[in-house]
Amino acid sequence: MVEFETALLAIAAAFVLFAVVALYRVYAGPTNHDRVIAVNVAGTNTVIAITLVAAAYQESTFLDVALVYALLNFLLSIAFSKFNVERGGVL
Amino acid sequence: MPITLVEAALLTFVLGCALGAALLEDTLAAVMAFAAYSLGVSVLWLVLQAPDVGLTEAAVGAGIMTVLFLLALSNTVSPDADRLFEPIRWRTVALVGGFVLLIGATVPALPAIGDPNSPVVAGEVSQYYLANAYAETEVRNAVTAVLAAYRGFDTLGEGVVVFSAVVVTLSVLRREVVA
Repeated sequence: MVEFETALLAIAAAFVLFAVVALYRVYAGPTNHDRVIAVNVAGTNTVIAITLVAAAYQESTFLDVALVYALLNFLLSIAFSKFNVERGGVL
Repeated sequence: MPITLVEAALLTFVLGCALGAALLEDTLAAVMAFAAYSLGVSVLWLVLQAPDVGLTEAAVGAGIMTVLFLLALSNTVSPDADRLFEPIRWRTVALVGGFVLLIGATVPALPAIGDPNSPVVAGEVSQYYLANAYAETEVRNAVTAVLAAYRGFDTLGEGVVVFSAVVVTLSVLRREVVA
């Protein structure tokens, strides 16, 4: 059981590392559209990491956080995209 | 306890995001890096077994702060960025680095995570709440009991502050939001 938990945590760490790789796109750009997508990819990776951590610690309340997180991630992408298209139309 | 693989990966992510938020010349890109930073920090709270703090960080740091930044950007004019990164002011780096080292030097003095003999847990006040919180308030979570019952007026004051901040912000922006 301990091995299973360690494996889950290791996979979660791997997904966070994927998010770190996606950060390169946030830095490099070249356009802001690339950055929006990169932040979204990083967010999605961390949602997966949260669910894996929830499974490893056997804490079902963490899944609620993952839900809020996934919603926020979507909302952020929409906000950035709207801002890009029509400057100021955030709300 | 040495830091785990997940924590190391998360810290790398958070540090990368923070550097991006500080150094990127384009303000919109910096705001995006900051949003990613907030999401990373909230996962870090989760891994440290504080899901309520993580939720608050995600909602306030990533949600409200980002929207506020975007609103500020839309009401100001920023020049087009002609380079990718800001020039680094080394004097500021030295000052901030020295401060970080100063704070970091106090970290080894902290008690271990979950240490039952640490003053925070073993102190008289904590023991009183842990022993009597349920009998006096019938709230199962001791932290919630302290927040909502023992210092309820304080929390009400905080609510007033947040409410008036929202009202003032919306009146400054001259925009009605039905959310």
